[in-house]
Amino acid sequence: MKKILAVFLLVSIFSACKKDITSLNTDPKNPNNVPSYSLFTNAQRRLTNTVTSSNVNLNIFRLIEQQWQETTYTDESNYDLTTRTIPDGVWDALYRDVLYNFERAKKLIPTDVVGADVQKNEIAITDIMQVYAYYYLVTTFGNIPYSEALDIDKPFPKFDDAKTVYGQLITRLDADIAALSSGSSFGNADLIYGGDITKWKKFAATLKLKMGITLADADNAAAKAAVESAVATGVFTSNADNATLKYQSSPPNTNPIWVDLVQSGRQDFVACKTVMGFLQPAALPADPRLPYYFTVNNTGKYVGADPGALAPFALFSKPSGPILVPGSIGSITNPDFPGLLLDYAETEFNLAEAATRGYTVSGDVISHYNNGVKASVTYWGAETGQADAYLLQSNVAFATATGTTALQKIAVQKYLALYNRGWDAWIETRRLDYPVITAPETALTEFPVRFTYPVNEQNVNVTNYNKAAEAIGGDKVTTKLFFDKK
Amino acid sequence: MLCVTQVFAQNRTVTGTVTAQEDGLPIPGVTVRVKGTTIGTQTGTNGKYSLSVPDNAVLVVSFIGYAQQEIPATGSVINARLVVSSRQLGEVVVTGALGITRTRNQQSYAAQQVAAEEVSKTRSSSFITGLSGKVSGLEIRQNNALGSSVNVVLRGTKSISGNNQALFVIDGVPIDNSNLNGRPTPTTAGQQDGAGGYDYGSPASDINPDDIESVTVLKGAAASALYGSRGSNGVILITSKKAKKGLGITINSSVSRGTVDKSTLPKYQRSYGAGYSAGYADPTYHYFFYGDVDGDNKPDLVTPTTEDASYGAAFNPSLMVYQWDAFDPTSPNYKKATPWVAAQNDPTTFFNKPISNNQSIMITNGTDAGTFKLGYTRSDENGILPNSNIKKNSIDLAGTYNITPKLTVGGAVNYYNINGLGRPGTGYDGGGARNVMTNFRQWWEVNTDVQELKAAYDRTGKNVTWNYADPLAGNLSPIFWDNPYFVRYQNYETDTRNRYLGNVNVNYKPTDWLTITGRTSLDSYTELDEERKAVTSVGVPYYSRKNTSYTETNYDLLATVDKNLSKQFNLKALLGTNIRKQNTQSIYAITNGGLIVPGIYSLSNSANAPNAPYEYKGLREVDGIFAGATLTYNNLLTLDGTIRRDKSSTLPASNNTYYYPSVSGGFIFSELLKQLSWLSYGKLRANYAQVGGDAPIYSVLDTYTVPPPFNGNPQSAVNTTKNNPDLKPERTKSAEVGLEFDLFDNRLGFNGSYYTTETFDQILGVNVSTATGYSFKFLNAGTVKNKGIELSLNGTPIRTQDFNWKVTLNYTRNRNKVTELFKDGTGEEAKNLELNSFQGGVSINATLDQPYGTIRGTDYIYDKTTGQKVVGANGQYLQSGPTATIGNTNPDWIGGINNSFTYKGFNLSFLIDVRKGGSVFSTDMYYGLATGLYQETAYTNDLGNPVRNTLATGGGLIRPGVKEDGTPNTTRVAASYGAFGYVRLPNKAFVYDAGFVKLREAIVGYTLPQKTIAKLPIKEVTFQLIGRNLWIIHKNLPYADPEDGLSSGNLQGYQVGSYPTTRTISLNLKLRF
Repeated sequence: MKKILAVFLLVSIFSACKKDITSLNTDPKNPNNVPSYSLFTNAQRRLTNTVTSSNVNLNIFRLIEQQWQETTYTDESNYDLTTRTIPDGVWDALYRDVLYNFERAKKLIPTDVVGADVQKNEIAITDIMQVYAYYYLVTTFGNIPYSEALDIDKPFPKFDDAKTVYGQLITRLDADIAALSSGSSFGNADLIYGGDITKWKKFAATLKLKMGITLADADNAAAKAAVESAVATGVFTSNADNATLKYQSSPPNTNPIWVDLVQSGRQDFVACKTVMGFLQPAALPADPRLPYYFTVNNTGKYVGADPGALAPFALFSKPSGPILVPGSIGSITNPDFPGLLLDYAETEFNLAEAATRGYTVSGDVISHYNNGVKASVTYWGAETGQADAYLLQSNVAFATATGTTALQKIAVQKYLALYNRGWDAWIETRRLDYPVITAPETALTEFPVRFTYPVNEQNVNVTNYNKAAEAIGGDKVTTKLFFDKK
Repeated sequence: MLCVTQVFAQNRTVTGTVTAQEDGLPIPGVTVRVKGTTIGTQTGTNGKYSLSVPDNAVLVVSFIGYAQQEIPATGSVINARLVVSSRQLGEVVVTGALGITRTRNQQSYAAQQVAAEEVSKTRSSSFITGLSGKVSGLEIRQNNALGSSVNVVLRGTKSISGNNQALFVIDGVPIDNSNLNGRPTPTTAGQQDGAGGYDYGSPASDINPDDIESVTVLKGAAASALYGSRGSNGVILITSKKAKKGLGITINSSVSRGTVDKSTLPKYQRSYGAGYSAGYADPTYHYFFYGDVDGDNKPDLVTPTTEDASYGAAFNPSLMVYQWDAFDPTSPNYKKATPWVAAQNDPTTFFNKPISNNQSIMITNGTDAGTFKLGYTRSDENGILPNSNIKKNSIDLAGTYNITPKLTVGGAVNYYNINGLGRPGTGYDGGGARNVMTNFRQWWEVNTDVQELKAAYDRTGKNVTWNYADPLAGNLSPIFWDNPYFVRYQNYETDTRNRYLGNVNVNYKPTDWLTITGRTSLDSYTELDEERKAVTSVGVPYYSRKNTSYTETNYDLLATVDKNLSKQFNLKALLGTNIRKQNTQSIYAITNGGLIVPGIYSLSNSANAPNAPYEYKGLREVDGIFAGATLTYNNLLTLDGTIRRDKSSTLPASNNTYYYPSVSGGFIFSELLKQLSWLSYGKLRANYAQVGGDAPIYSVLDTYTVPPPFNGNPQSAVNTTKNNPDLKPERTKSAEVGLEFDLFDNRLGFNGSYYTTETFDQILGVNVSTATGYSFKFLNAGTVKNKGIELSLNGTPIRTQDFNWKVTLNYTRNRNKVTELFKDGTGEEAKNLELNSFQGGVSINATLDQPYGTIRGTDYIYDKTTGQKVVGANGQYLQSGPTATIGNTNPDWIGGINNSFTYKGFNLSFLIDVRKGGSVFSTDMYYGLATGLYQETAYTNDLGNPVRNTLATGGGLIRPGVKEDGTPNTTRVAASYGAFGYVRLPNKAFVYDAGFVKLREAIVGYTLPQKTIAKLPIKEVTFQLIGRNLWIIHKNLPYADPEDGLSSGNLQGYQVGSYPTTRTISLNLKLRF
């Protein structure tokens, strides 16, 4: 019996070790607290990456807009969104990698930033960045999760009406503009403006102007109000105001285009005939931006490939190569080529449109139009003189420019200015319906006027997905969105 | 395990030989003990024993399957002749949970034993694959790449996102079988995602097959409940070779040759060459590049080398074209045009016929003082791919020492050294940097001669490819694909694993009914995986290294009681404690932006400063106590109960303790039917058990990820998985009833079970709307039910003195259903949980009210009345959205049938392995049919013309189906690029039946008669000719092996860049001294 007792004693000793084993479950290699500014920096970079990227799994808008064209694997040029689940790529990048990280930064700022005014500024700037990201979501998909988004306690968020969301986004910008006072903010952690409050205020107003204009066809009164108040706040007045994020010259924080076009060693993209037709019109001098936008082909000519068709790499111009003149912003294919979020040229075109529509803005249509063209041409590195000469060409000079209406004339130059910013170009093409982009013969669908919802939403958020699909008139690429009325 | 080998000095010694009455041959391993004492020994390999006995002793001679004999120990030589007894079937000793042996009568749950020769006879370097088809309830899926992982699931998938692999235990020591192919960092797609990678195999395969005595498979939770959470998926118990009395030496030496099973490789069309469509520069055909190659200033026809498809110009032997080799100055065809014809050597000639070999020696000895075992095995396995090899060395050392008759100490150490070189790359690997099969099966020009590529690589050692970026401009860099030989010889991986598996144990037997065992065991390995992409390859060259170390320590203390309470009642009881500590650490580093100096694979050779390495350290401790009791009445009734309590570090403190009860009962009805002479044995059994599971490490507290700083500014991001501080254990309830009987003097045996399991409160990384800011959230949610039947049948249709024919059959039918997923705060129920999505837009899912593992993707649209496929106005099929259920990866049933024949010294056996049903999505067909590689893409159409002709010239096809108005489709569409593949057809078109019938093993053996070798100092000489994977008798998946997949784990049913089946034929010589 003693032996049995001994055994039981041993067993109980073993099991009675009351140490706290739960502490083993604390990850020693990853922090559970980080400074808010580090979240902001990362989200800002991810946001810029998303709108800048040329990755065929994420940002195929240059192809949709027929600025570029795929060489061999032409699926995306033919509007195949499903094979690579591109809507998922966009959705995940903006909601998960960008918006939620900004959201978390906003939550942390009040506890880890010293100074009420600094906190207020940082929260406002972060909110502006969020509005910016939402702008692309709502104009890409239509109804989107908003009131229930960014909340893990609601794993199946409902989708809100796109136009309602849009209105709320503009209201948020108003609040942010009001909140931005004097004082400092993120400093160097802000990769775009180095924490400059004045510039952020200008950015917010400029974004509001853009959002107002985007709404012009759908809700003229709301558009007018937004535009006029934005202008009153003060919008971009030169390229020096442009919101750019300068990437680094060596990986990993390089421009994603360099990763796709240069580092990969691949030959996936060439110029598309559609944009080339505008850049190099028959019997007229070429656009001064042409050598900045594209290289020549193997025979020394600027040639664009047919949209959607197979395009042997050698025969066509490539997205600008290393032949660029020094002193410019560099080549698109440089690793440190800046990502551009919002610029002066589009602002001038927006003002031109506002003037056309009779909104109260200073300056007339032509002066804004001319300023827009000049801003774009010089931003890419050409001389002011070249811009002036270009503006005298019959196809560019406002009176005789391509297009039958003022809006069409503006649309053409905006399309050209939004080269390399396919996503924005796509919004304008849908809204202004000019220049007309024709779907390739081989395309799987008509020209897409929205993205279908992500496969993941269809799989996991079934009920709300179905409701949203019904509310917008069907989850198809041909369903027109709230701003795309005419 | 320590057994009855306890001998201590008595007053005199008796010796003798135990033989079998039927053949007169000596029987090794027979227990000889003195009645009423613990004194005993076992016969050696020659059937001899020696035992010190007290006066007036009675010897009890017993051996499984034979009638026990009691012989008075009069005289000094006592021989025994044992008689086979069917009545002793209930006394067969089986190994159960924790290695505790019990008799068949006392076992009330499903367990199936596989004998040593069944495991090791195939001379495969991994014993796991040798179990396929041999155990009911066990589904094994093996991937075809050399050394690749093996998926081992018992009784169906239970856990939605957790581990479903059976636990491997060798001599009571759990061994790690983690999938080592994880994502290199949390944000990088990995091998299991179908992205490029390497399959580093299943660590349980390290175990030396030659050191295995037997394998017992505990299928249900009741059998394995004592193992705690890890036993919830069943346990594969391995008993290593035990030393028997006397010196024994066994030598095995085998050599094998592998060949490729051509039915698992593509059949290429031989009518059209490189290209995607007409539209190239040449003015005549529009299918060729056009420029001056030979220097005569006139443009020449040049293969469109950038185009990795075979939708180009029709072959025409009189058409002379400058092909890739015309640009290679070292080629005999330099600056020469060659006829435009299909390659003489297509990619099926890429594979080697490797020779491999395996040598092992095992020395055992047992004396009164203890036992000793030393084994060494070396296997050197070459793969079918050039430059692929795995070398394994294993040393097995074990010993026991009897300090006193009651106290024995033992220890064992197994050392394994595994060296891999050039393991085959897997997955959809952009640029084919690793997996050449994506090239051969999906993106290829059928005019390219593989042997000429080999010659080019052999001549130059350089990346001379068929896929030049721009040959006419002098750019001979590869654009999308490297020379496949360059890939194999330059972009190779290497890996080394050094593993120690050992234990030290003390066994104390204070009385004959009580045993106390203390044991400390260790499973520890370090592994280094190095991957390379050479300079000049497509993409960014790199070198990466991942160092992993894994240590698991178990501390066990166990008391067992085996006591006859009365004449009728026997009690077996146990009480124990187990502390398990696991420590996994890894560090992964990769060069950044390329390599400076070609051929130097070191981090310091990085073109840019490397980012901080990715580090992981994961700890887990589980403290368990357990108890069990088995009460047997008259060998007629058995009642068994166990309970275990675990406390796991991976759960929140408030929920980290959980219990596993099990209860089982057995009724040996044959005891009541002794008048039925044909009924040798019969038992009914039933059991019920609950088991729990803990959470993955670090799924409770949230952390951030930290990307490299941007220009000195720190960056951080919220983890994409939301952890949960309220997790509780995952639970499984299982119930089982079984019937087993043996008839006709043991010539027909039946063992069947019906089981149900319900796994609920599952710890799920639930796939949420990413609009939440997360991809996944850990929850306790989800229920999966499994129910199934497993049957084993063995028969001996013929049993004569010289000739024996045995048949064994195993059958498993499991039905599995996801009955609950999860609800959000408003009660909204999720309908589907995406487990992973893959290239091609298909996903593997847990779908509510569907079997686990549905394949989702785009489907056809079917006419509501006729069920026919609907074709749109353009003549192409209409397609559904991407969430249609288009397949289910679960088989309807699996089975194996083995026939073995013995005639005197000859034996012949063959195993047929069957899987019925289940689906597999083939990315290879999805792309390969689009790019026009396969013969299905070039045929004569209904108009009598080549289908690839333009519509104007009578080509094209009419999609079978109906228009939207229900009338038959009459619109002819062009059979251009993509028409047969992913471009124009939904995912559903590439879902195939994954069933197969395979001749898995066939073995012919001959053992020299005892007479022949009687004068030699040798006990056994056996020759064997062994074939594995000889013949796929039936399958429905074209050009590939339906069994092949990505990796072990929950993501099955998806193929990409699939490797062909390797047939192996081995010759083995076994010598026993």
